[in-house]
Amino acid sequence: MNIRKNAFYKAWFKDAWPYVTGAILLSIFQIVTLATTGNPWGVSGVLAYWGAWIFELFGGSVDKWYYFASDGAQNTLNNGILQHGGSIRNIGIIIGALFSSLAACQFKIKKIKAIRQVVAAILGGLLMGYGARIGFGCNIGALYSGIASLSVSGWVYAVFLFLGAYVGSKLLVKFFM
Amino acid sequence: MAEYELDCLGEACPVPLIKAEKELDKMNVGDVLIVAIDHSCAMKNVPEWARKQGHNVELDEVDDGEWEVVIEKMK
Repeated sequence: MNIRKNAFYKAWFKDAWPYVTGAILLSIFQIVTLATTGNPWGVSGVLAYWGAWIFELFGGSVDKWYYFASDGAQNTLNNGILQHGGSIRNIGIIIGALFSSLAACQFKIKKIKAIRQVVAAILGGLLMGYGARIGFGCNIGALYSGIASLSVSGWVYAVFLFLGAYVGSKLLVKFFM
Repeated sequence: MAEYELDCLGEACPVPLIKAEKELDKMNVGDVLIVAIDHSCAMKNVPEWARKQGHNVELDEVDDGEWEVVIEKMK
């Protein structure tokens, strides 16, 4: 039997799941996250801790940094990555994404076409990371979890997200077309 | 009945879609455009857009993570 022709393989692993399925699963999992950990789902805050741990690996110290000044943040840093639920979740996202692309036979290391792609990726990453930290969250922690918690801030975030996306798409057409 | 090729390998969304839109604009009815892509989101949005415009569309998986969208311009 050829697994590529198997209907279950196609439905579960090969073809992209419908958006509605994804939305329902995300909703269920973010409720589970809030109920079991007491904190809403977030992604980019975890990356700040990863940055701090890497900085500490090279002998740096963030003890005096305002961002990590709270007792909670200090505890998280001292307990390490394996005791940090958010880190485990982010690692799961990365491994899950890798698994799903491998299972669908769609894994590919893409070539870099132009140096401007590298510049845009680095600049975009820096801007997103900086924005997510001074905005107290990214499109998950501030937008998705914000709106899910019936917070007005999530909707304010959404308005400015669309403004940013509008400007971003204009820049994209200008520099990449 | 000319055939055109558009190499969008390594291009992230929505660049393949916008490039295909522009290329198709320049073509005559009956011409065929082959768009090579390796971003899975383009495999969704390029055929979706072309079908909505009323063109004939075929999607080929040519390699792991690589597709060709074949669009026949209908109008």
